[in-house]
Amino acid sequence: MIRFDDVYKTYKTGTDALRGVSFKIEDGEFVFIIGKSGSGKSTIIKLMTREEKPTQGSVHIDHFPISRMARSLVPVLRRHIGMIFQDFRLIESKNIFENIAFAGEIVGMPRKKLIQTVDIVLSVVGLRNKATAFPQELSGGEQQRVAIARAMVNDPKLILADEPTGNMDPLTSEAIMALLEEINRNGTTVVICTHDSNLVDRMKKRVIEIADGSIVRDDMDSGYTCSLDDALQGAEV
Amino acid sequence: MTIRAFTNSVREGFQGILRHPLVTMASITTILLMLLLMSFFAIFSTNARFIMKNVGQQPPIELYMRLDGTETQRTAVSDYLTGDSQHVLDFAIATPEQNYNEFKANLGSSSSILDNFDYNQFLPYTFHIRLVDPAYANDVVIHLEALPGVNKVMQEQQVMHFLTQTTKWVNIGTAVSFCVLFLISLFIISNMVRISVYSRATEITIMKYVGATNAYIRLPYIIEGAIVGLVSALCSWGITYIAYSRIYDVLMAKIDPASFYAILPMSALSNRVLLVCALCGILIGAFGSGVSVRKYIQV
Repeated sequence: MIRFDDVYKTYKTGTDALRGVSFKIEDGEFVFIIGKSGSGKSTIIKLMTREEKPTQGSVHIDHFPISRMARSLVPVLRRHIGMIFQDFRLIESKNIFENIAFAGEIVGMPRKKLIQTVDIVLSVVGLRNKATAFPQELSGGEQQRVAIARAMVNDPKLILADEPTGNMDPLTSEAIMALLEEINRNGTTVVICTHDSNLVDRMKKRVIEIADGSIVRDDMDSGYTCSLDDALQGAEV
Repeated sequence: MTIRAFTNSVREGFQGILRHPLVTMASITTILLMLLLMSFFAIFSTNARFIMKNVGQQPPIELYMRLDGTETQRTAVSDYLTGDSQHVLDFAIATPEQNYNEFKANLGSSSSILDNFDYNQFLPYTFHIRLVDPAYANDVVIHLEALPGVNKVMQEQQVMHFLTQTTKWVNIGTAVSFCVLFLISLFIISNMVRISVYSRATEITIMKYVGATNAYIRLPYIIEGAIVGLVSALCSWGITYIAYSRIYDVLMAKIDPASFYAILPMSALSNRVLLVCALCGILIGAFGSGVSVRKYIQV
């Protein structure tokens, strides 16, 4: 479970990225965080991975106050989170197998188990035949699938994706989202920051919309834009 | 950190050396030049201290027995000197006759004026004493003057003081030079390694995101730096060995190796230079690399 309690974040430059953000994400949920550029979406992700600390308020993951955790424990936290980025962030000098295995090596996974796990996640993302290829030999969609495989290697409880389909055509984006949905069906919580309105509209998942550092909408089974019915319901309340 | 994670880091460290051959070569060259300078200082200071020690051990203390001193008293002085091996390196006793002959020899062509000199009446037994360290001179003199039958003990105060001071300054100079050179090398090497680390900044960021600890990220760079330092140390030691051996052959061609101003042969310095080079090289390489990574692991 992820809980943000009245979180404020002001960067050293004086920019107010978040202003009193509070929400709760239960285990196994699939959540989109949407908003314009600079609205504070990425800051939310950074707070979840403890890349940043809130200026005020607290962030809890599984009832553990990560905003107050010791720096030495941050790597332990991150081993339970799978990260996916818009620019894939694969290591070009390592082949696909090594790129994925590397996340398991860091936690000291035994070699035999690591080979088996990488094989399984490569099968899940459909790239088993590309294990020896290098990232630059793959398409954008394939590279993102490798990044997803890397995120899955340590069997995380939470996957955070920051614009995972940002550089992809609609078809490839659909495939990536289908993969993330499949992972979510197996019990992993998935939180995605995105601009991709078509995908958000089609998938009908929970949507948290951020504007100027505040939550302006938190709807279940919603789309990228607030529907007329939702707006009317909101007006009646 | 698990054993598996540790062995991965070590393997990465070795691979890192080959990943950026030009940076590796530049790092090796930089450390090598610094270590050559350090070796030079190590050799210079060792030789300076060796010569100081030799000079200090030349008989700077002369003990004069009383003219009426007895054989028992001379034996007592000899026994005391023999027993004080902590301070006294060695000593020699000279009879009045030996002193007379030496005195005559010093007079050269005028020595005939002493032909009828009754040395037994006017010249005493003397002891020429060499000390382990000239710094012990005052203590030894105080003890010797208290012995029965001893007329006076002469020491070359100024020579002693000069030797003690010079040895002290050579030691201080060497220590300061080492520190300065060490810091300069560290600064240069950390900048060199920063280039290599910069090219791997993305990799480090990714490692941080997947949960690598700072130690896990740093270790390959530290190992890489230590290996570069060790290779530089071995090269530096080899160059120093060849160069110093040549210099020794030229300088010592007409000098007796037993004389007090002879310098040490490379065989006597080899292990010390190797130890200094290896220690400094590994420390500079490892520490310089570790420091360079610091900036990139704050994710």
